[in-house]
Amino acid sequence: MNYKPIDWVDERLGTAKFTRKSLNKIFPDHWSFMLGEIAMYSFFILLGTGVFLTFFFVPSSADIVYHGSYAPLDGHVVSQAYASTLDLSFNVRAGLVMRQMHHWAANVFVAAIVVHLLRVFFTGAFRKPREINWLVGSLLLMMAILEGFLGYSLPDDLISGTGIRIAYSITLSVPIVGSYLASFLFGGQFPGDKIIPRFYTIHILLVPALMAGLLGAHLAIMWHQKHTQYKGKGKTEKNVVGVAMWPAYAMQAGGFFFLTAAVIAALGGLAQINPIWMYGQYIPYKVSYAVQPDWYMGWLDGALRLFPSWEITGFGHMIPTIFFPAVLLPGITFGLLMGWPWIERIFTKDTQAHNLLDNPRDNAWRTSIGVGVMAFYMVLFFASSTDVLANAFNLSLNFVLWAFRALVFVVPPIAAYVAYKLAKEASSASRAGRPRKAMVVSRSNEGEYTTEESDPRIEVELKRSAMHSEVPQPLPEEASFHAAEATGEGTSESEGGLAMSASSLSSAATGEMSERPSGGPEVYQVPPGTPGSGGGLFSPRGPKLSRSFEDPEEEK
Amino acid sequence: MIIRKKLGGRILVPVALGVAASVSGMALFSQGAAAATVSGSVGSANTNSLTYGGTSGAGNAPITNLKLDSSTIALGKTLFVENCSSCHGDSAGGTSRAPNLVGLGAATIDFWVSTGRMPLADPTVQAIAKPSRFTRAQTLAIDAYVSSLATGGPQIPVVNLGAASLSVGEGLFSTNCAGCHTITGVGDALADAVYAPSLYPATSTQIAEAVRTGPGNMPRFGTGNLSDQQVADIVKYVKYLQHPNNAGGIGLGHVGPVTEGFVGILIGLGSLMIAGYWIGGRAH
Amino acid sequence: MSSSTPELEQEKVKVGLVKTSESRFEKVVAVSFALSLLASIGLGIVYWQGGQTQAEGALLFFALGGLGFGIVAWGKYLVPQGPYVQEREELKSPESERAVLIESLERGVTQIERRSFLVKLLGVSIAAFGVITLFPFIRSLGPQPKKMLYVTNWKKGSALVRSDGSKVRASDLEVGGVLTVFPEGHAGGAISQTILIRPSFEDIVTKPGRETWGPQGYLAYSKVCTHAGCPVGLYQELTQQLLCPCHQSLFDVMTGANPVFGPAPRPLPQLPLEIDSQGFLLAQAGYDEPIGPGFWERA
Repeated sequence: MNYKPIDWVDERLGTAKFTRKSLNKIFPDHWSFMLGEIAMYSFFILLGTGVFLTFFFVPSSADIVYHGSYAPLDGHVVSQAYASTLDLSFNVRAGLVMRQMHHWAANVFVAAIVVHLLRVFFTGAFRKPREINWLVGSLLLMMAILEGFLGYSLPDDLISGTGIRIAYSITLSVPIVGSYLASFLFGGQFPGDKIIPRFYTIHILLVPALMAGLLGAHLAIMWHQKHTQYKGKGKTEKNVVGVAMWPAYAMQAGGFFFLTAAVIAALGGLAQINPIWMYGQYIPYKVSYAVQPDWYMGWLDGALRLFPSWEITGFGHMIPTIFFPAVLLPGITFGLLMGWPWIERIFTKDTQAHNLLDNPRDNAWRTSIGVGVMAFYMVLFFASSTDVLANAFNLSLNFVLWAFRALVFVVPPIAAYVAYKLAKEASSASRAGRPRKAMVVSRSNEGEYTTEESDPRIEVELKRSAMHSEVPQPLPEEASFHAAEATGEGTSESEGGLAMSASSLSSAATGEMSERPSGGPEVYQVPPGTPGSGGGLFSPRGPKLSRSFEDPEEEK
Repeated sequence: MIIRKKLGGRILVPVALGVAASVSGMALFSQGAAAATVSGSVGSANTNSLTYGGTSGAGNAPITNLKLDSSTIALGKTLFVENCSSCHGDSAGGTSRAPNLVGLGAATIDFWVSTGRMPLADPTVQAIAKPSRFTRAQTLAIDAYVSSLATGGPQIPVVNLGAASLSVGEGLFSTNCAGCHTITGVGDALADAVYAPSLYPATSTQIAEAVRTGPGNMPRFGTGNLSDQQVADIVKYVKYLQHPNNAGGIGLGHVGPVTEGFVGILIGLGSLMIAGYWIGGRAH
Repeated sequence: MSSSTPELEQEKVKVGLVKTSESRFEKVVAVSFALSLLASIGLGIVYWQGGQTQAEGALLFFALGGLGFGIVAWGKYLVPQGPYVQEREELKSPESERAVLIESLERGVTQIERRSFLVKLLGVSIAAFGVITLFPFIRSLGPQPKKMLYVTNWKKGSALVRSDGSKVRASDLEVGGVLTVFPEGHAGGAISQTILIRPSFEDIVTKPGRETWGPQGYLAYSKVCTHAGCPVGLYQELTQQLLCPCHQSLFDVMTGANPVFGPAPRPLPQLPLEIDSQGFLLAQAGYDEPIGPGFWERA
C-alpha cells in the first residue's frame, strides 16, 4: 500500500495526529446511539435529492396554461411552480422517485431527530459538559420543522396553499408588529406573487446553510467531547468502551447510510406521498377537506383546533386567538426545551460533568416529566386529525374535539404518574431488564444440593462470538504509541523504540503467537484462524496468514 | 392502502381502508336482471366511457333523462307498500316519521333507494350507503310508481361521459365538491355526526342525482348553478377519482399527510430503528 | 456456540468450526454485494428504457440495501469488535492556560480602552450603519399594511359574479343551493371571496340593522374564516351550518353566521345584498368590518 499521500498532506497540514486519533476513536456500542445517525443520513439524502429537484423546479407564481402530460389538468391556469412540479413528476426520468424520496426523507428526518432527542433527554446525556450540543440540537430540530414546512409549501398545490394561508394568519396574529411582519413576508396582502420565490430562497439556501453549519458544530462537539456511554462492566466516567472507529465502526455506520437510503428509496418508489396532481393548483377560494400539515406540524395544528375561541380586546387593540396556540405555545415549547439543562440543574444542584448515562428508570422524576410532556404533544398531534379520526371511527366530530380538549389535560398527568411508578418499581428490582445469570445446581457426593451463579466467563462465551475479546483492551497501536510516549522515547526521533513496538504489534495483529511485551499494556491476541487474520472465501484455503499491517522494517 | 375489489366481473372499486365506505353503489351492476347495463371500462382518464343500453337515443347531449317504464308502476306500488309505506305513508305523502315524497322527482327516489340508504335501518342517524335491497329493475319500478303520483322534480339523469371534459370537471369539482368530500373524493366527517361520504362507490347516475337533488346535508345544485354539461364534467372527474393516477405507488387511502405521517414514522423510521438495533446491539 | 468453555472454544478454533461460521458470513456479504450489483444494472436498464417510478424505487432499495447490508455485516461479523477502551482526555484547560488567556485579553482591552472617545464613536458608527442598511432591506420587502387589512373590493353596487366572471341572477340558485361569489371585476379574489347561500328554511334570525340585507332569503357571508383565514366552504344544508375545513369552526347561517363550535372567535362578516330591476344580485355596500382573522390594530 502506498502511504505517500499521507506524508504529503501531513507535511503541509499536520493532519496525522488528528487522523490517527479519529481512526482510533472508540464508539460505545448501543442501538440507541444510532438514532442520530438516521437523522444525519436522512439529511444527506435530503441534500442530494433536493439538489436534483432544484434543477427542474421553477419557483414562480406566474400563471401559465398547463398542457402537460397529466390530462385531468389540461388547459388549467396554474402557477409555474405547480406546473414545474407536475413536469418533474411526470416528464423527468426518475423525477417522481426523487421528489417522493425527498418528501419521505423529510418525514423520517424530523422523526429521527425527535427520537434522538428523546434518547438524549431520558438518559441525561444533555448534562454537563454537553449543554451546548443540546442547544445546537434543539436549534436543528426547530430548523428541520421550519424547513419541512417551507418545502411542503413550494409546489403551490391546494393543500399546501391552505397551509400558507394559515401561516399568514399566524404571522398576522403577533402582537404589535404582526401586520407589518405579514406584509413584509408576503410582500403585501395575501396571497400575492412573492411568497413562493421567497420560501424557495429560504428553503434551498438560508435554512440548509444554517443547518449544515449547526450539524457540523453538533458533530464536531460530539467528536471532541467523545460519546457518552451506558453504565456497565469496565465503563467509568473517565473512559470510553466500545468498537474502534477503524474499521468496524466506519463500516457499520457507512453501511447504515446505505440502509437508510434504501428504506427511503423503497418508500419513495412504492408509497405515494403528496400526489399534488390530485390536489390541483392552489386557488384561494378553493379548499379541500381533510387538510392536514405534515406530521411534524401536527402538534401545532392540533393546538389550533383545541384552543378555545378566546380573543383579547381592549385599549383599541386585539390579541387574536391563534396567537396563543400558534405563537406562544411554540415559543414556550422551544424555550423550555432549550432551557432544560439549566432548569433541571435548579432542582438537582448537580454541577458535575457526566459521561455515564442514566438509566431512565433510575431517574424517575426526569422520566415522568419527559413522559408527561411527550404525552401532551402526542395528544395535540392526534388532535390534528380530529376529522379523519371521526370519519374513520364513525364518531361525531364535536365529540372527538371535546374528547381531545379533555384528554390534553387528563392524559399527561396520568402518563407522568404511571411513568413515575413504573420507573420506581423497575429501579427497585435491581437486575430488572438484564439477562438472568445461569444458576448452576450441583449435588455433592453426600447428596447435598447447592445452587450458585454460573461462572461469569461462561456467560461471556455465551454472549460473544470470536470477534469479541473478553475484557476491554486499548487499541494495540494506541497502546504502543502511548507506551512509547510515556517512556520518553520520541515518536519520530527514536526509530528503534517505534520499530520494536511496531514489530511486536504486527505480530499481534497478524495473529502470530508472541510473548506479551513485558511491562507494556496487554495486547489483544488474535488466535490463528480467527477473522481478520487472513484466509477466507476469496483467498487460498488453509491457515496461510496475510499481513494486515506493514512492517516498517520491511519497507526499508 | 387501496383494496381493489372486483364486482360483477366488470368494475373495480377501490375502498379506502379505515373509511366507512361500502360498495353498495355497485350492487345494482352485480345483478344481472338490471334494466340498465354498463359496458366499457372505467380505468384511466382517457378510456372512460360509460353507456347505458336502456336509454333512448342520447346523441351528444351530456345528460339525458331516463324514461321510466309505466308498465312497472304496479310492481313499484307493491314494493313501495311493502318496504316504504310504514314510514312514508301508503300514498308517499309522508308521516310524522318521514317526509313527503310526492313531487320530489324520480332522481331523489332513485338516489336514496339505489345507494341502499333507503329503507333506513335507524331513522335517528344519518343514512349511510349499504347494499341496496332491490334489483335495478325493482328500484326503477319504485321510482316509476312514486314519480307517477305527481309531476315535478329532477328526473333520473343518464350521463354521457363521452361528451364530458375531464379537466373542466376537475375545476368544478375542486370548487364545488372538494370542500366536503375532499379533493380526492374520499369523504370526511362534518360537524355533529354528519359525514360527507366517500365518492368511490358511486355510479355516474348516482353522482349526477346527488348534485341535482342535494340529499341530506348536501346543498342542491340546480341548472342555474351548474349546467347539465358541467354536471357531466364533474361526474367524469369523480369517475376518474375512483381509479386515479397513482403514479407514486400505493395510494395510502388518499387522505393526505395523516397516513403519510404514520407510514413515515412507523415504517420508515421504524424499520431504520430495527436496523439500528441490529447494527448497534445492546451494551454488554 | 452454546454451552462452551474457553477450552472448548480453543478446540473449535483448531478444528476450524469457527472458521466455518466466518466463511458463512462471507458468503452472505458476497451475495448481498452481488444483489446490489444486479439491482444497479437493472436500475440502469429501467432508466435507459424511460424510467418507471415503482421499479426505480424497488431497484434502488436493493442496490442501496445490498450495499448497506453487506458493509454492515462485514463490519460486524468479520472485523474484530473489541470491546476496546480509550481514556477520556480532560476537557478543561489547565488553570495556567486560562490565566494567560485572561491576561492577554485584558492587555488588548486596556490598549483599546485608552482611547475611549474612539471606542464610543466606533460603536455609534457601526450601529448607525447597521440600522441604515438593515432598515431599507426590511422595508423593501413589502408595503406598510396601512388600510390593507380593513378593506375588500366590495363596494356599493358591486355585482355578484362567479369565479368565471359571470353575473349571478336571483333565480340562479335553487333553494338549498350555495355558490362562491366575488365583486365584479375581481373574480377569484382571495380577500373578497364570499359565500352566497339560499337556505331552504325561513326562520332566519336577522341581526338588528340587517333586516334588508337578505332579499328573497339570500344570505352572503365572507368566506374567510375569522380563526385562521381558511375558506369556510363546507355548507351543511339541513343543519344550516358552515364548517371550516382547517380547524372545524362551525358557523350558524341562520343567526348571522355566529360561531357555534370550534375555535373561531367571531361571526363571519355579512355582505348586505339587493336585487336590481333585471334580477341580478348586487352588494348594498361593502363589508362593515374587517374580514378574516384578527390582528393587533383591530379593536
